[in-house]
Amino acid sequence: MQTKTTPEELAVLRARDFWGALVLMAVSAFFLWRTFDIPLWGGNRAGVASASWYNSAAIVPLSIFTCLLILSVVLLVIAIKAGGAKRSLSGIGIGWNSAETLRFTTIGIILFFYVAGLVPRVDFVACSGLLITALIFGFYKGHAQRMLLAAFVVALAGIYAMIAHLPQAEWGAHDDDGVTLVLWAVLTVFVMINAKGDRVLRIVPVLAVAAPLILVCAMAFGFRQNVPNRGGIIFSQIEYHYYVTLRPLWRS
Amino acid sequence: MDFVLTQLSGFGGAFYALVADPLTYAYLITSVFLGITFGALPGLTATLAVTILTGFFGNKIPLDYSLIALLGAYVGAIYGGSYPSILLNIPGTAASAATAMDGYPLAKEGRGGEALGLTTTASFIGTLIGTIALLVFVWVLLLLSKNIASPEKALLALFGILLSGTLMSEDLVVKGWIAGLIGLAMAMVGLDPLLSEPRYTFGWSYMLSGFQVVPVLMGAFAVPQIIEGMRHMEIGKMAQVKGRILPNFKSVKRYLPTITRSGVIGTGVGALPGVGEDVAGWVSYGVGKTVSKEGDQFGKGSLEGLLSSETANNACIGGALIPLLVLGIPGSPPAAALMGAFKINNIIPGPTIDPEIILRVVAIMLLASFTMFIMGLFTARVFMKILRIPQVVFLPIVMVLTTIGSFSVGGGINDLYLMLGVGFVAYFMNLLKFPIAPLVIGVILGGLFDETFRRSMLISGGDIFVFASRPVASVLLLLNIALIMSQIPFIKRAFGRLRGKAI
Repeated sequence: MQTKTTPEELAVLRARDFWGALVLMAVSAFFLWRTFDIPLWGGNRAGVASASWYNSAAIVPLSIFTCLLILSVVLLVIAIKAGGAKRSLSGIGIGWNSAETLRFTTIGIILFFYVAGLVPRVDFVACSGLLITALIFGFYKGHAQRMLLAAFVVALAGIYAMIAHLPQAEWGAHDDDGVTLVLWAVLTVFVMINAKGDRVLRIVPVLAVAAPLILVCAMAFGFRQNVPNRGGIIFSQIEYHYYVTLRPLWRS
Repeated sequence: MDFVLTQLSGFGGAFYALVADPLTYAYLITSVFLGITFGALPGLTATLAVTILTGFFGNKIPLDYSLIALLGAYVGAIYGGSYPSILLNIPGTAASAATAMDGYPLAKEGRGGEALGLTTTASFIGTLIGTIALLVFVWVLLLLSKNIASPEKALLALFGILLSGTLMSEDLVVKGWIAGLIGLAMAMVGLDPLLSEPRYTFGWSYMLSGFQVVPVLMGAFAVPQIIEGMRHMEIGKMAQVKGRILPNFKSVKRYLPTITRSGVIGTGVGALPGVGEDVAGWVSYGVGKTVSKEGDQFGKGSLEGLLSSETANNACIGGALIPLLVLGIPGSPPAAALMGAFKINNIIPGPTIDPEIILRVVAIMLLASFTMFIMGLFTARVFMKILRIPQVVFLPIVMVLTTIGSFSVGGGINDLYLMLGVGFVAYFMNLLKFPIAPLVIGVILGGLFDETFRRSMLISGGDIFVFASRPVASVLLLLNIALIMSQIPFIKRAFGRLRGKAI
């Protein structure tokens, strides 16, 4: 599946390969070292002799990480031969693009705080609504300031949730739900102020409310599956009224 | 003869059961529609469609319905990729990249309706060819596969990973192999399958059960696409389509040899482990250009060129299901997602699969291709409107879908951490032009490889020659060695010199 690459793109790729190969070598060396923790030559566990070397749990991982190390060296040699090492220390050499870096970093921050900070602790409808609003507003037109603002708002909600309720025992608290809802509302107002005739931005609030609401209800009541943070401020109300108010209507 | 009749009656029974169930239509129409939508939106792929639906439907509804949903989306998405290829010159999926070569020039000439009508017909016929091949070859291979034991299984798994790494690499083959090895390494995490020895768990109890397939699939296929797609893109001017979109049976009859050839090529490429619809489309396009009388017109609006790629990429679906169902080795990246759905339903594709499941898959494929054909002809204008939706609007919703789908499969929040971690790694791998399909295939086949390799060694008392002790194993061993050797530079050069002398 070869595709055409320009000589400049290829040179950038080889400089990146140089770093990639070094990372791969370090990772494979680390895991090779860890593999030696697994008994290879017939260990003895609680007085019982374990398997021979050819049946050891270490034999396949050992081969995999050795091959990975060898192939990383091959990649490194290819990269060096193609001039990747020479270019690898300069920003231009590795094809550094600050706009692209900002785009990736802000998306990375948003996704990290959404998954690691908000989803476990905050109501799913609220945090997903905030995510949808932030991502569409931040990246729709490619403005750097909007990207930064979107990342800042999600990070703020995520950091608050993580700092206030880091241990799992505290994930049921509702103050972080409130903070997320307020931030979502403020961001939505800001989006609407900036929408001025832009059809895409004007439908953001509708999408941000409807999509997570439909998905979470379909998953919880349609497929009867577990959903994140069942005790969240919005979902707990939906669940209560589903079982107490709505369901008796057709059950009776 | 009795065997054939039994199979045909079994297929008839499975087909009737599906047709008679009203819920079949609900799942089929929804999934094919969703599939075409995913395919039509540039940036969303068939693999993503099947992966997301695996998380959403995989283990939440009866297996029959989840297979309808996943196969319907698969068939629909591969076909749907042709819309932006023809109307915008942007391939909706990698599978329809070759379609843009002739589809867009045709649309610019004002023949967009004709191109879409022909594409719909060709995709339908292609899917049927692949499905028929699936029905025929799966039984032949299933009979042969009864003789496959641990050494053959280990070598087959290795061959699948190596071949996928070799053929799916955009840059260096070594990168494909590294991706496959990373996938294999990921499969080593958790309790080992024979001795229950913990490996690389770092004291975290979640890791004892190893990496779950669905979060890895979501991370590898969905997260990088979301990161990559969240950028401002001006949608180009869409070519105007006048009149109704109808199949041109005169052209179909004229190009029937091309359609048949492309269908066979697509099925064959699909049957290769880990090689997807994009390769099928390009190979068929390349062959078409070489053998066709109007080969010089390819790339300038040739109907034959359009049919070559579109028939092949849909025929590839049936082909990709052959190794999946018979050997448990996915034939393409979306088939890897399907394998994930089988796994979470506790069904192990391979020689021991329940034959009724195969018959149901064939029946579903047949129904899905009909649904796709009808939807393609009557609702094409809806999909043209969908093309206008910027992906920046669609992808955040995909992220929410991915999150809730991954969470609900079973592992909870830890699965989400895994998904995000794999997603960031896969994004950087994409950036360095490492293919992702071999990684996923490595994760899926890693457990099988580990178990069968060590079992072979155990049976033989540590004799490595067990891998050459049986005819099929010897052939597979030779194939593996040949595949590796063919990529070593000095051997490549030597073969090049030999070829030069021969000419």
